[in-house]
Parts: sequence; C-alpha cells; structure tokens
Amino acid sequence: MIGLGHYLILSGILFAIGIIGVTTSRSVLRILLSLELLLAASNLSFVTFSKFNGDYAGQLIVFFVILVAAAEVAIGLAIVVLMYRHVSSIQADDLKDLKW
Amino acid sequence: MFPIIDWNILSLEVSITAILVGLIVIDIAQPKGNSSRLVPTLSFLALGALILFWLFNGAVFGTTFNGMFVSDSLSWDFKGFFLMAMNFILTMTQQYFKTSGDRLDSFYYLLWLALLGACLLASSGDFLVLFIALEILTISLYVMTAYLKSDKLSLEAGMKYLILGALSSAFFLFGISFIYGVTHSTRFEIIKGYVDFHGMDPMMLFASILVLSAIGFKIASVPFQQWVPDVYQGAPTPVTALLSVVSKAAGFIMLIRLFFGVFNAWHIQWETVLAVLSAITMCYGNLGAMFQTNIKRLLGYSSIGHAGYLLMGAAAGSTLGASAINFYLLGYLFTNLAAFLVIVLFYNAAKSDDISDYAGLAKRSGSLAIALLLALVSLAGIPPLAGFFGKFTLLMAAVKSNLIWLALIAAVNIVISTYYYLRVVKTIYVDQPRVTTPIAVSFPVQLVIGFAITGIVVIGICQGPFLEIAMRSVNNMAFLATYVSQ
Repeated sequence: MIGLGHYLILSGILFAIGIIGVTTSRSVLRILLSLELLLAASNLSFVTFSKFNGDYAGQLIVFFVILVAAAEVAIGLAIVVLMYRHVSSIQADDLKDLKW
Repeated sequence: MFPIIDWNILSLEVSITAILVGLIVIDIAQPKGNSSRLVPTLSFLALGALILFWLFNGAVFGTTFNGMFVSDSLSWDFKGFFLMAMNFILTMTQQYFKTSGDRLDSFYYLLWLALLGACLLASSGDFLVLFIALEILTISLYVMTAYLKSDKLSLEAGMKYLILGALSSAFFLFGISFIYGVTHSTRFEIIKGYVDFHGMDPMMLFASILVLSAIGFKIASVPFQQWVPDVYQGAPTPVTALLSVVSKAAGFIMLIRLFFGVFNAWHIQWETVLAVLSAITMCYGNLGAMFQTNIKRLLGYSSIGHAGYLLMGAAAGSTLGASAINFYLLGYLFTNLAAFLVIVLFYNAAKSDDISDYAGLAKRSGSLAIALLLALVSLAGIPPLAGFFGKFTLLMAAVKSNLIWLALIAAVNIVISTYYYLRVVKTIYVDQPRVTTPIAVSFPVQLVIGFAITGIVVIGICQGPFLEIAMRSVNNMAFLATYVSQ
C-alpha cells in the first residue's frame, strides 16, 4: 500500500536531486532545470498533503507555484540568451569577473 | 462562500497596482520617440500622492480576504518606509539613466512592481500570499539587476542573483509545504495556534528552518550571503540601493512577523540560532569589507555586517529588540540611500566606482562630500548620527536579554568597521584629486540630498518620537506572541 510516507520520500529525493543539480552543474540550463525540479518537489508534497489531509488548499497553491516557476524560468532563459550573446557560452564558469 | 472583501484595507496596494497599469497603458498609447520624460514624471507625481495619502489619510487596520491580508501597525509603518525609500530610488534612477539612451520606461514599471511586492509582503497573513509577494519583489529585482544588457557585470550579477534567489525560494516553498502538511493550513493565525498548542514538533522545526533560510537570503545573513558583494557590485546602482534597503527591510518584516509571532513558542531555540548567525554574519561582513577597492562592493560587505547587527535585535527576542530593528532600519534608510545617491552622481561624472577615484571629492563638490561623509560616519556608528543611536538600542536590547557575549562581539565589530568607513572619508577629504573638474549637482537633486542628510541628523539627535513609532508598530503588531518579554 502506497502511503503518505512514500510520496514524501519521493518528494524528498526529487528535492535532493535538484539541490545536487544546482550545486554541481556547470551549464546554466541544467541549473535552471534543477531549480524547476526543486519547485516540482515542493508541488508534489503540497499535492500529497492535500490528498491526505483531505482539503483542496494544497492543490490550489500548486497552481500559483506553477505560475511563479514559469515567470522565474522565463527570466532565467532571457538571461541565458543575453549571456550567450556576450560570451558565446552557457557555462557558469564563463561568468566570473566579479571577484574580490 | 465568497469572502467579504474590505477594499479600504487594500487601498495602498490597489493604488500602486492602478499606477503600474496606468503607466504601462500611457507608455503604450503615446507615440514613439518622446517617451523619455512622461513615465518618470508621472512616477514622481504618483509617488508624491501616495506619500501624502500615507501621511494624512491615517492607517486602516484590519484583516480581509479571510485573514490572508493583514493591515496592522507594523505593515502600515513599513509601507511608509518603502514609499520613502522609493522617493530616493526614483531620484537615483532618473539620474543614473540620464546618460544612457536605453529605452527605460520598463525600469520604472519594475520599480513599481517591486514596491507592490514589498507592500503585499508587509501585509501578508498567509504563507501563500507571503510567497507570492516575495516572488513579485524578487523576480522584478532579477530583471532590474540584469537590466544593463550591454554590461557583462550586470549580466553576471543578474545570473547569480537569479540562481541563488530561486534556490532560496524553493527552500521556502518546501518549508511551507511541510507547514501545510502538519497544520492543514497556510494561514498564520491557524499555524500560530498549532505551534502554541503543540510546542516542539520535529517536522515543524525542519520547516521553520527552511523558512528561516529564505529570510536569511533576503537579509543577507550567513550562510546565505555569498551573492551580496557580487550582486551589489554588478547591479545598476539604483537596484543596489533597492536591494540594500527595501529588500533587506522586507526580510526583517518576515523575520519579525514569523519569529516574534507565528513560531514564537520555540523562542529559546531560535534565539540561540539567531544569536550565532548574528555573530558570524557581522564578523564576515566587517572583515570582508576591510580591503575592498570598489565602493559598491564595500557597501555590499557593510550591508552584510549591518544584517548581523540587526539580527542581534531579533536574537534578543524582546519587543525592545524588535523595535530596535525597526528604528535601526529607519536610520539605515536615510544613511544608505544618501550614500548610494552620492555614488550615482559621482558615477555620472567620473564613470567609476573605485574608491581611489573618490580622492579629493571634497574639492570637486562640497555637497556630495558632506553627504557621503555623514552617511559613512553614520554607518560607522559615530554620535550623534542616526547609526549611532540605532546601534545603541540594538546593543541595549542584546544586553537586556543577557546576550552580553554577542554585544561584546558587536562592539568589536563596530570598532573594526570604523576603519574601512574612515578610510573612504580620508580619501575624500585628505587625498589630492587627480581630476579637478567640479561636479555639478542640479537643484532638485540637492534638495533630495539635503532631505537625506536631515534624516540622518534628525533621527540621531531627537530619537524619542522615532523610537516611539518603532515601539508602537511592534507592540500593536498582529500575531504578536503574548509572552514576548518587554
């Protein structure tokens, strides 16, 4: 029987993969993808709690989160495009002028 | 059942939204080519009207949208704070982009959007509203940070801010999902009831740590501070000013609301955490600032240091501590925005943010030199300016809550910070200028500088009324836990 715990563990695994992705990827696109994964993990746990708590607020929150995630990724991609125009690369290592 | 909505409570937010939409419509409707004057002028007029409204209409307190939107003394006072900051930031924007030919009406919309986000954030009574408001504020800041399309530093700053900001909001959201799971609600009132009743609960503790990490990102506290120097240096200067004042204040509203209210039942645990964070943050900021050569980067590190001082008030866990935070932020607004205004004006003349280029500024423009001198000296905490009395109240709050070790660390840090602030002052007043052309400052801008200086001096000399406002706004706050000590 699949219960609350299983969903939460899945959501936790997704979150962990997202964190690993953000911290270890060199490509900015992969970092943005991992950020989406983090939000997806939160969404999964919202829906899970909504189902097991028996109210709809959690599912409603997910819609707002999807909206915010779309806005965030739109701006992220815009910056990636600008970056490609400047340095002809989307590797995070190529942006390192700001250092002390 | 459809909730009854009291639009009076929302009047400020509704007006800001109307202004935002109005500006966009006007900009689209007007013919191309002569777009450079209208939107800035209308922005100033609209802001003036809002400030008059804030001053004379009087606060409307209450809750609406089923308790999702709360208007109380804390949110109302901070909205005034944001409007005041916007006044300086609009001036800076107008000056900063004077020379660039970019089409920049959209920058003004983004400023208004950030203001809307900050005002909503101050009034949120529900974690969903808090999250959306935070995202409105942060996403508009991402765009503004990367706004100088032809400048690689601005781009890099925008990228770093976006990645770390999105990471911190994901932590925040994950935390909220657990809070929702445990308490079956995202409403502050219900969560506060749950926490008061159940006390320590491992899942809620985990969730509140995730929420704290998002707040830490906003206020630039260790361990979420790495973005600060880079973003402060790379972003256009008005955006740096916005980040250092409005965004930081937004973080502290969340901190006060959540940790003096909603999660206050565990105050012993989080006071310890905040005290340790405060000590590390101020040491990091002040030691990092010692050898900086770029003034925006210096102020970035100094802003981390100030986050450390401010956290001291939160770690004190008393209403005195929270009012000290409010009072300090008020002084910090005038002080920091005066400094950034001077940086913008100097950049227009010299095209440089290097401290070495500030040599002999006193000989080139007396008013800029005096404004920067007062701002830096107030940041360093030298009496009788605003920064001194702010630090004094924070230290007093810490000592009263038996955090004497923390107060000692803060005192050492204040001494260290004087070194790097006075190093800049020495460059301005003692060193010989390499370029001697005087810097012209137009009359309206001089008025704004004069206003900032007045703020720094008046708050420092007659603290009484301002401290009273700060105390009143905390004591009448919604969700304030009943057993917070005085």
